[in-house]
Amino acid sequence: MRGLLLLWSLAPLAWQLYTSLVTPEALVSGSAAATGSFWTLENYRQVWLADPPIWRYLLNSAVVGGATTALTLTLAVPCAYGLQRQGGRLRWAVTLALLATAIFPTVLLFLALLQLARALGLANNLLALSLPYTALCLPLAVLLLRAAFAELPPELEDAARLEGLNLPRRLRHVLLPLLAPSLASTAILVFLFSWNEYPIALTWISRPELLTLPPAIARLAGSSLFTVPYGAFAAATVLGSLPLLLIVLIFQRSIVSGLTQGAIKG
Amino acid sequence: MSPSLLNALLMLPALVLLAIVFAWPLLDAAWLSTQASSVLTGLNPIANGGANWQRLLGDARFWQDVAVTLRFAAVSVGLELLLGLAMALVLHRPGRGRGWLRALALLPWALPTTVLALGWRWIYNDPYGPLNAILRAFGAPPYGFLTTPATTWLFTVLADVWKTTPFVALLLLAGLQAIPLELEENLVLEGARPGQILRRLTLPLLRPWISLAVLFRLAQALGVFDLVQVLTRGGPAGSTESLALYAYLNAMRFLDFGYSATVVIATFLLLLLLTAMGWLLLVRRPLEASR
Repeated sequence: MRGLLLLWSLAPLAWQLYTSLVTPEALVSGSAAATGSFWTLENYRQVWLADPPIWRYLLNSAVVGGATTALTLTLAVPCAYGLQRQGGRLRWAVTLALLATAIFPTVLLFLALLQLARALGLANNLLALSLPYTALCLPLAVLLLRAAFAELPPELEDAARLEGLNLPRRLRHVLLPLLAPSLASTAILVFLFSWNEYPIALTWISRPELLTLPPAIARLAGSSLFTVPYGAFAAATVLGSLPLLLIVLIFQRSIVSGLTQGAIKG
Repeated sequence: MSPSLLNALLMLPALVLLAIVFAWPLLDAAWLSTQASSVLTGLNPIANGGANWQRLLGDARFWQDVAVTLRFAAVSVGLELLLGLAMALVLHRPGRGRGWLRALALLPWALPTTVLALGWRWIYNDPYGPLNAILRAFGAPPYGFLTTPATTWLFTVLADVWKTTPFVALLLLAGLQAIPLELEENLVLEGARPGQILRRLTLPLLRPWISLAVLFRLAQALGVFDLVQVLTRGGPAGSTESLALYAYLNAMRFLDFGYSATVVIATFLLLLLLTAMGWLLLVRRPLEASR
């Protein structure tokens, strides 16, 4: 069963890796051409030296991802704390609104957000892109962090209050250190979302050197720059997946537990 | 300061940003759907009453996209639920390397949809892709996976199922972890077979998580965009064009913002209707029945 599961999940990815590493002739015929070799790094050289080079897109995505993660946590922590402390109708209404926005397909927002970007001069600005991204990540982040706050014993904060610590210091020195695992898994999920978001990046960014990875890849797919066979496409997809692959493998425990714990408690 | 006021103030910045990014666009699109705003008007909004909505009702392409989107959502969510349950059961079983197994199973969900859609385009390639290589090995003629209007939608479903099943599995895994081990042990002691345990214990207790997964995936599938835009561009012959893609094309290709907004709002209403129905059937009714 486990073997079948791994085959299903990894075979398409392995095929991309293979495609990226062989010569076009080898890809089509399955054997080395009469003149050439079978394996090659030419596809990687091609996308690495393209104009703009692929590392530029990776860098752009990392910048947006970093800014989005920082901004989301900054807004989500106080909101989650307030929501957890709040009782009654307000709490119920806010939770319902967060759930509704969490499942909302964000592509339906692209038109008005595009107009907003144009009106405020935010188009073609990577840091500005992190504003809508933050909003799109907030519902999930607040729900996960509220569940984490609910886990902490209330006596803990009472004791800190008696010590004379005000709210910012209670959060900073007492509560947040205990929430470190939840903060980490929330941050990773926000970064994943930001790295993968497509429709808003597609409509906000038009200058090639500012594209994030998803629209850049889509643009690559639409261009005739690289013709079939797909060696260069595959090299781009491998390089675009690599950072996330590392994140998922390094933080697998906190991603899985972060999501499952959040779902159980939330 | 009263605690309630403090809590409200703490929540305010996040809620304001949410209102700007979620509520305002919907209100703006609702208003724009009553305006002519296209190349003909220099993209300036000019009120045109219900003309956009009248056009929508008679727009065969829109109704075809409704059918395409509903078909896509129904089939992919159904398959994701079945496969996600199987995957969650495998991931839940204890054993060495379970953490790694979970991480690797999760990979398709974590990677960008556009990147994976490009990958699937190559897998489906006619005649060089691996699927056609397999067909060739069996002596069959090559098949146009992405160029046969009658069947291409099935292959968009397959790519979506591959990509999002891990997420459903992860949600259901959370549900499995919440089931106390003693309950299962008791049933085993009573001599229940694995199939009976699944039916009598696991599925009933998983119900809230199944409902959550269905609602989430249904809403996402009704807004499918990234995948079809990169994999098929809505083709062949519009057979895989989703509502979100049609809204996008109206704005960015045909430069008709008024009509694009109309398609957006119509899609939103459809989404609202179906998720509300899902909510009533999956969440409300069982809650009342259990009272």
